[in-house]
Amino acid sequence: MVQRYGAEVVGGSESHARVVAHRLAMVNEVEVATTNALDYWSWAPHFPVGESMDGPVRVRRFAVTGLRSPTFKDAERHVLFEAHTRSDEEAWLAMQGPHTPGLLEFLRREGKDYDAILFYTYIYEPTAAGLPLVPERAALISTAHDEEPLGLVPYRALFQLPRAFGFLTPEERDLVHARFRNEHIPSEVLGIGLEPPPWHDPEPFREHYSPRGPLVLYLGQVSEGKAVDELVADWVAHREGGGAGSLVLAGTTRMAIPERDDIVSLGRVSDEDKYALLEAADALVLPSHLESLGIVLLEAWQVGTPCLVSAKNKVTSGQVARAGGGASYERGGFGKALAAVLAQRERLGESGRVYVEAECAWPAFDTRLEQLVDLVAT
Amino acid sequence: MRLARVRHAARTARRPGGDLSEPSLLVVVQRYGDVPGGAEAHARSVVQRLRPHFAIEVATTNSTDYLTWKGDLTAGLDQIDGVTVRRFPVERPRAWNFKLHERRAFRGGHTLDDERAFIDAQGPYAPELLDFLFKRGRDYDHVLFFTYIYYPTVLGLPLVPERAVLVPTAHEESAIGLTAYKPVFHGPRAIAYNTEEERRMVWRRFHNERVSNEIVGVGIDIPLGRNATRFREKHGLTGPYLLYVGRIGVSKGSRELFAHYQRWRASDPAHDVSLVLVGDAEIAIPKTSGIVHLGRLNEQDKWDALAGCAAFVMPSLLESLSLVTLEAWAAGRPVIVDARSPVLAGMARRAGAGLAYRGAAEFAEICELLTDDPALGDRLGRSGADFVARTYTWPRVVETYVDLFAEVRARLS
Repeated sequence: MVQRYGAEVVGGSESHARVVAHRLAMVNEVEVATTNALDYWSWAPHFPVGESMDGPVRVRRFAVTGLRSPTFKDAERHVLFEAHTRSDEEAWLAMQGPHTPGLLEFLRREGKDYDAILFYTYIYEPTAAGLPLVPERAALISTAHDEEPLGLVPYRALFQLPRAFGFLTPEERDLVHARFRNEHIPSEVLGIGLEPPPWHDPEPFREHYSPRGPLVLYLGQVSEGKAVDELVADWVAHREGGGAGSLVLAGTTRMAIPERDDIVSLGRVSDEDKYALLEAADALVLPSHLESLGIVLLEAWQVGTPCLVSAKNKVTSGQVARAGGGASYERGGFGKALAAVLAQRERLGESGRVYVEAECAWPAFDTRLEQLVDLVAT
Repeated sequence: MRLARVRHAARTARRPGGDLSEPSLLVVVQRYGDVPGGAEAHARSVVQRLRPHFAIEVATTNSTDYLTWKGDLTAGLDQIDGVTVRRFPVERPRAWNFKLHERRAFRGGHTLDDERAFIDAQGPYAPELLDFLFKRGRDYDHVLFFTYIYYPTVLGLPLVPERAVLVPTAHEESAIGLTAYKPVFHGPRAIAYNTEEERRMVWRRFHNERVSNEIVGVGIDIPLGRNATRFREKHGLTGPYLLYVGRIGVSKGSRELFAHYQRWRASDPAHDVSLVLVGDAEIAIPKTSGIVHLGRLNEQDKWDALAGCAAFVMPSLLESLSLVTLEAWAAGRPVIVDARSPVLAGMARRAGAGLAYRGAAEFAEICELLTDDPALGDRLGRSGADFVARTYTWPRVVETYVDLFAEVRARLS
């Protein structure tokens, strides 16, 4: 069960769900229950409602009734930061959507026909209202991070109900345990499995950027939500302090970027270009405070590139520490941390590569997945 | 002002670390005080027994009547047996068309909305009680919910699951099949079942074996000086009698009891045995000779009645724990139960203290057997008294609760 599903859906937990569905389908009968939405903000209808096949996976799409309320942001601010009531918090969940009554009725009626139901993403209504309909056969892959909504009323019981948890990282597990005191519910840290990188050629990027100094790459959504504004400010300070090189931003752009020779915005890039950039880069930077799993870090390590992450994010800092594949930095310490990483690029990149090979190989991932399913299937 | 003071008391009782202040406990129950009802009496007796061990408060409604939920008490703070009771207003009476909501929710093709409407319509609809749990529930170390079925538990328990213990008082009935009750049985930190039979039924339905649990039940207080003669004289009864104590209504199996009794007496007039009924009647009682309705009795009268009966009859199919059946055993009397009630028949078998009937013919046979052979009744009754003394004692019940709560607290600290 996941709020959106499909090859064209962009989103961390949604991609994870699709990978998991396909891996599990190799040895299980797997179906996906989801909505007909493509966009996580409006939940506007996109896919046809009904059954379809995604390779071996049967997909059941249910209609979202109503778009996200235009006053949602106001309602959210109210429940997160102002004095409010229980009903306000309950109403918030429905306003956030995707409101999909058909999916909930399906779970209530047909849920018992499945040995295990994996629910993706704690925050949306299909999980918050759907998991309580089938707690006896449910695993929650919460993809939780330390954010305000985690304290809201719809989630008080949700985190006590499943038979098992699948966490993306040990940091997520520790956060959920600290918040909900539910250590007694068994869990599995899933991480992710990765395909080997596709064919790619880093040389053109190297040739283009290396004359100007180190190539520092950001790959992902270019937005304030991902703290790219902080990265840009840190970069500017770094250059003013005498640092050299280029900052390349690759990904959908949702913020204004200063016009400078040393900051290049490429927009969305192809998969080949992505890996070419990752390999050509001297370091990858991930400034986001709210990542539940830094997949781009793992991809950088696949091609031996070290990473710099915000120390504010426990998850990515934990990943970097476990992999020995880079460094984390505080605001103000960016330049120094970058210099340290660049000085040891080969050693850090190699350490990351070894880590990814052990943790993200398919057999290792599949074993963790099957363990999660075994915790639930009765 | 008084509210603030009480809240403060609850907080100070929750100081972390190994200090000696009592842990705090909030008990949530649909009605509380001088109200009829097995689960409500159960809740009150548990509160009284747990008082020495916890800083205890009760959250309930301002109603005494489970059929209408009319707000016949004053909302606000109350004191009962020296315990602070917070009464929250029932904002609307039980829906006049409750039966309609019931039918909709219980039919095969019902929807989630039908279930939600049923929970609200069944009541007691007291949203302020939920608001209190939302805002203040986490100031208590523990919240103990009585009865799985009503609004305060269904909607209240999910607000404080990490500190909740449930006393379900569940039995087989249509409502328990609703999906809305799954979180009630999967969400709490622990469940205190009344009987083995209740636990087995809940596990079969909900597959919630992973939730910590104990068979707890209640203790039975047995008064000294039970006097059957005093009872007979007071009510002008001569000859042997069967006794029923409790609500007299369709859901309690009273109609079947009347029919079985009348058939037996008609076919076998030689056995001059009356049927004495104690409790409020919700249905008409047949004007047959032999059936005597005494209404409600005080405790002393009730125990005198129990002591003197040839057998106690409990025809209800829907019991999670019949207190009065335990009391009949404690008084040393045998019990006649319907074999279709898993809890009662199971307990009678385990106690070796009762006989179970399937249908009118077996009912008549059992009544004949027990009236013709009083020694058999006495023997069964003694076995019942032993069973109660072994199992349903307050020190064991209190110790089990204290241990359950300590387990909950250990996880929260």
